[in-house]
Amino acid sequence: MSAIPADPPHATKAHADAAPTLGQRLRRITRSYLFRVLLSGLITIWAVTTFTFVLIRQMPGNPVDIKIDQMMQTQNLTYEEALRAAATLFNFDPDRPILLQYTDFWSDLLRGDLGASITRTGVSVSSIILRYLPWTLFCVGLSLLVSFSLGILIGLAMGYWRGSWFDNLMTTIASILSGLPDYIIGLLIIVIFGVQLRWFDIGSVRGGVDPTIEAGFTLEYIGSIISFATMPVLIYVLSTIGTWILSMKSSTLSTLGEDYIAVAKARGLSEQRILMGYIGRNAMLPLITRLAISVGLVVSGTVIIEEMFQYPGLGRNLFIAIAGRDYTTMQGIFLVITIAVVFSNIFADFVIGWLDPRVRVADGETAQ
Amino acid sequence: MKRLLIVLALLTLVLGMALPAGAQDAPAGEWLGTWPYAAPGTHHLNGFAAGGLNDNLGLVYRTFVHLSPAYYLWGTNEYVGLLAESWGFVDDNAAYEFTIKEGAMWSDGSPVTSQDVVDTFDIGRILNWSQWSFLTSVEAVDDSTVRFNFTEGGASLNAERQILKEYVSPSATYGELAAQARQLVADGATSESESWTALSTAIAEFRPDVLLATGPYTYTLDDVGEAFMTLRWQPNSLYSGSVNFGTLKIWAGETEVTTPLVLSGELAHSTNVYPPATIESFAAEGIRLVTTPRGYGPALLFNFTVPPFDNVLVRQAMAHAINREQSALLTNGLGASGTVYLSGILDSIAPNVLSQETLDSMNRYEYNLEGAAALMEEAGYARNADGKWADAEGNTISVEYTFPADFADFSAAARDATAQLNEFGFDITERALPWQEAAAAIRASDFQLSVWSWGAGSPFAFANMNNPVRRWTTALAEDQPGLQLNIREFDYNGETVDLNDLILNVSTGLDTAAQQERAGYLATLLNSQMLYIPLNEMLSVEPLNEAAIAGGPADGDAIYANPSNDHFIIWLILNGTLSDARVQ
Repeated sequence: MSAIPADPPHATKAHADAAPTLGQRLRRITRSYLFRVLLSGLITIWAVTTFTFVLIRQMPGNPVDIKIDQMMQTQNLTYEEALRAAATLFNFDPDRPILLQYTDFWSDLLRGDLGASITRTGVSVSSIILRYLPWTLFCVGLSLLVSFSLGILIGLAMGYWRGSWFDNLMTTIASILSGLPDYIIGLLIIVIFGVQLRWFDIGSVRGGVDPTIEAGFTLEYIGSIISFATMPVLIYVLSTIGTWILSMKSSTLSTLGEDYIAVAKARGLSEQRILMGYIGRNAMLPLITRLAISVGLVVSGTVIIEEMFQYPGLGRNLFIAIAGRDYTTMQGIFLVITIAVVFSNIFADFVIGWLDPRVRVADGETAQ
Repeated sequence: MKRLLIVLALLTLVLGMALPAGAQDAPAGEWLGTWPYAAPGTHHLNGFAAGGLNDNLGLVYRTFVHLSPAYYLWGTNEYVGLLAESWGFVDDNAAYEFTIKEGAMWSDGSPVTSQDVVDTFDIGRILNWSQWSFLTSVEAVDDSTVRFNFTEGGASLNAERQILKEYVSPSATYGELAAQARQLVADGATSESESWTALSTAIAEFRPDVLLATGPYTYTLDDVGEAFMTLRWQPNSLYSGSVNFGTLKIWAGETEVTTPLVLSGELAHSTNVYPPATIESFAAEGIRLVTTPRGYGPALLFNFTVPPFDNVLVRQAMAHAINREQSALLTNGLGASGTVYLSGILDSIAPNVLSQETLDSMNRYEYNLEGAAALMEEAGYARNADGKWADAEGNTISVEYTFPADFADFSAAARDATAQLNEFGFDITERALPWQEAAAAIRASDFQLSVWSWGAGSPFAFANMNNPVRRWTTALAEDQPGLQLNIREFDYNGETVDLNDLILNVSTGLDTAAQQERAGYLATLLNSQMLYIPLNEMLSVEPLNEAAIAGGPADGDAIYANPSNDHFIIWLILNGTLSDARVQ
């Protein structure tokens, strides 16, 4: 179906001189695509947040119970004694009704307060997120950029020159890489190149930056950040690039059969222009949605890679929070992830519309 | 010229005497250890709060910044004073006193006084420390002597241990909070009071800027990195002159994160629990492995409302049907040993607590399938056509064995027990759960068979016999049925005994002969009733890389009798036995 404007051109002209009333403006706003998408996004965020709120409290064991278990084991306390001692350590009452916890959460959230960490007393969830989010955005964002860009280019070349040695070689490599989880790749690199071959000191690639270098916008500090991110970025790229390559190759192959490619060739356009402007641009479209989801999930980091290299990212903190049943920190991080995924999908909708002239957004209608 | 030399020599001597102790140089060595401390941003220096010193330095490294009064040597059953010069019960055991060593100082050069100890325990009272179950007050007798007044009957060797093992924190940092605590108690507040809760919250949220240390090391938040933190030598400790390490580098992370560091030689000592295959790879790299007691082992737990586990004959048969040496091997390779005595006390501790006569009388439940079969038949079971044990109505023993999936050792112990019992004729299905869920299931009695720890890293019978019998029954809250075993009215040898009281009182008082007798009675009861099956006793197999650390005593040395919660490296570093092999 082609895009059809909601009002015919002449009707638009006829109303051009009359100033719209407030009601008409409101109606126009509420009918607009942007408004509906944003509203839908907000409802999704609320639903996911509520679902997450309930779900994490259904997990067995709460922070106090976990501490109680440890105290009963190590100090031979009764449950009640351990409960009293544990209760003083955490700012959390496990017996408070979940509905009241929920209203507390929303009343704080609407004031921009994500609350305090339960297990890390005196530390606000916002401060945890603000401290660790930039590291994850940098590391995983950079990895995704490299992985996606390289994957698209390689996949495009493989599809265009299908059957060549390059295609065969890269198909094999990409298939292997896409089948290997990130932690296996990470372990293999550490064990083979770090332990066996001793090409690098394992300890020297742990952390986010050299702690002996003073923080600041200096070449030394920035260089250290890039240096420490190298290994996590490398592993992330290796573990994800295979999927991008194979997807792009597949998409390229289906695009090559389109009539407009034959027409472009018949018109005598240069190979580069056909490859980039016709094949590449159209073959990329199906990957945009997946990229959007990946962009959204950037903020959750890569838990295992961050843990493996003690990288100061949000994913590692989420892992710690889940293990300790730190409800407030989990909620805060999940909220950020949800917002990122929802808005990156909205963004993807607009990007697809921009990339593909067949997909138009006009006055509240998406016609395809 | 000669006069000049004499003047120079005198000048040097005078200057040398005038310089404070702090002018001595830090030792050159670097210790390479590990502990899963909190990362920067959440890491703090409060010794009384979650996420503070206890969590960040743990049982191994906390002593290096805050000395406890004494340290227990398990091999010889004696205390050595760290901060304390002398200690003991006084006033016909109505109180306990210890005297602080002369010259004990904080890292800022101020003396350690009895007020520091009083303040530490007064804050602990607000935090419901277990010591306050046997203490009525702690007071300063003079600047260096502290007195701990017991509740009626509160004096015990266990109480002594809990006093001497507590880290002493500085009044300069916590004095104000301690004063508030004393005022609160003087005003008659209780732990249920709002003011009590408010003060405990204030204590938990307090964030000291500086860490004053009595131990030979201290650190600031700038020393805490994502990958490792560094404890730095300070000159004012009683042990500053004896230690051989200028820094203690502590790598962050748990087992899986530290494994490659051990293999690459960047981590010299670790207390992590490594799987058997990893231990083998350490040995293959030539890394020395030191074995010490871990202070617990996995036990097979019964839900006593699930037939036939309410039948003692069946429980005894199961004990005979499990090869505990195999269980140990599969649980943790070289890091476990099959339980020998099944006395309710860890085998590494039992000879110190029980008489030889009691030990000799213990049924060792040798691996004996024929004997096990005889017991099953005596209990009214017979093998059906499938080789499974079935009661008179044909019901097989079809149950679930719940275990914590994320504890590799306990999982392995449970799965091996399942396999061995199924081989014997049971019909058990494994059910893996996250550990938090597995623990919650035991508390809620939502299980049939489960696995959890038995024993304790304590030299006393109480802590050992408490776990798991009392821990999962009367020690639980009223709405938590646990093992569903009525230990307050337990039928034994034709009479009803209060097993709860027997366990609670087994280590009370100071009469060791009476304690041994009570422990012997309980050991016989637990051994014959087989209320749980202690599958094996775990050992800590710890890499101690001699390419980086020199001076480790030979295997078999008495210091290695110390379990993890009185870790051997504490004493060996403080007394200068261990040093950096690379700077010698």
